[in-house]
Amino acid sequence: MEQIGKQVKLPLGRALQIAVQGIRIRFGRSLVTVSGVVLGVAFFMSNVTSQLIKQAIADEREQRQTLNLMLTLMKSEIGDLSGKTVALATFGETTVSERDLLAVLRKTPGLTLGAPEALGGKAHLLLVLGAGPATASPDILTAGMAQPVLLDSLAERAYPSAKPGSSLAQVRRELFFGRESEEQADKLKTQAEQATFRTLWIGIISILVTIIGIANALLMSVTERFREIGTMKCLGAMSAFIRKLFLIESAMLGFAGAVIGTALGTLLSFAGYGLTFGFGLITAALNVGGLLVAAAACIAGGTVLSMLAAIYPANFAARMVPASALRTNV
Amino acid sequence: MDNDLQQLLNDGATAEKSGYVIRAVDVKRVYRNGEVETHALRGASLDVKRAEYLSIMGPSGSGKTTFFNMIGGLDRPSSGKVYIDQVDIAQLDPYELAWLRCRKVGYIFQSFNLIQVMSCIENVMLPMSFAGVSGEDARDKAMDILERVGLADRALHKPSEMSGGQQQRVAVARALANSPDIVLADEPTANLDLKTGEEIIELFWKLRSDLGVTIITATHDLKMLKRSDRIVWIEDGRISKISTPDEMQIQIEEVH
Repeated sequence: MEQIGKQVKLPLGRALQIAVQGIRIRFGRSLVTVSGVVLGVAFFMSNVTSQLIKQAIADEREQRQTLNLMLTLMKSEIGDLSGKTVALATFGETTVSERDLLAVLRKTPGLTLGAPEALGGKAHLLLVLGAGPATASPDILTAGMAQPVLLDSLAERAYPSAKPGSSLAQVRRELFFGRESEEQADKLKTQAEQATFRTLWIGIISILVTIIGIANALLMSVTERFREIGTMKCLGAMSAFIRKLFLIESAMLGFAGAVIGTALGTLLSFAGYGLTFGFGLITAALNVGGLLVAAAACIAGGTVLSMLAAIYPANFAARMVPASALRTNV
Repeated sequence: MDNDLQQLLNDGATAEKSGYVIRAVDVKRVYRNGEVETHALRGASLDVKRAEYLSIMGPSGSGKTTFFNMIGGLDRPSSGKVYIDQVDIAQLDPYELAWLRCRKVGYIFQSFNLIQVMSCIENVMLPMSFAGVSGEDARDKAMDILERVGLADRALHKPSEMSGGQQQRVAVARALANSPDIVLADEPTANLDLKTGEEIIELFWKLRSDLGVTIITATHDLKMLKRSDRIVWIEDGRISKISTPDEMQIQIEEVH
């Protein structure tokens, strides 16, 4: 007689095929499951996007304010900028505001901008920008200027010491912008922490909603398919195969839902803020990298969450005794 | 193969004289529901010969279904032994049990239980894929079987597009997919009208003579009982009587 063997393990492809077929045929039910994921993920993603957009708006505003402050300071020193000569020394990395300032200065009609040594003391004002330490002392930088005026963007910039006997005292050092005061920094920090906490809390809620929604929809789908599962078991399907079937189905629905949800959440946020503040403002300083990371995380998270939610229903289906297929009148 | 499994097979073979495809020896089944114990089977013994056409009868709650599940490898006895093709099913692990269900036994259900999302031929091919057969081989074999049950022209139809009798014939084809030794049918004609019911009975009869398949049905259908070799009566968890259709005919006439 033939010997009893171990039941073959079906390739994943077959389970995938059956799962896809199931989703296609039960499209309406699948849509319900997917919409659960879509809502959860969209909710989460719109929150993340809103945070990023708010941050972008705040950054952009700060930059514009800083720029205005810089221009005002320059004007208060030397009056109208038109027809003036400004020496420029840059040490290290420049900030966005500094670059914006340079762009504005270059566009100002009648204003000459050049390196201190090239201008040869004809400059009305010396502008020192960048984040690095200066490589020349103030007296050298301002050499030849009738009335040495030095505007520095950094309060605590390190300068090489001046030659002994030079008239450093005559050089006026003004600050474009010092660091924010401690108080302000603390306030901003607290606000940021609150925002993070809120995002986290909303995130947790949306995750729970998604998990429960999917688990419920899948449980329904298991109950609906009780007889089908039992029949498959009678025909020689193993519990692992049934489990695989439901996990794959859920992962696919989860992925589809997460993609749609991510797109929807992002678009809604953009539309909302864009219509209120103008698309120029929100896109100018937007952290695109952060947005992409968040989107990828949402899609991956949605898929994984759907699979997590499917564990219970899948096990429930897999544990079913084949005999129940014989007599269930569902 | 495991040594203990080999041992089991040998045991089965020695316990087995010859020709019996199913042997049930003093099978008992107790269901526990909390404190309550339900004795569904109180010791049933039965030998089924190869290519026999056996009907099982009994009132509901008699243990008929339990016994039926037991000899079909769907359930394990609490005590006693069930040999299917000389293998003691109580000793099999889930993988082996699934293997046995896949290749040794074909199931036919009262309400057909076709997978609704699959076409007729896909339903027939499903047990084959569980047995590791796929692709062209499976398709060809499925077509052969469908031809045998007279549904080759409806291979690509969905179950919902077919009549009850046609669906049940697909189910028969599916049960035959892995050339099982035993076909187990639970009230196969209960959901069919008289004429299509007769067609199914005829099909069973043909399969038995053509392929030498052992057919076991749980049924109350008189026409079905009449065509069977033996009728097993189950009452109160025990086999109360095994009769031939002729004897049964007399009893029924006495009742009427």
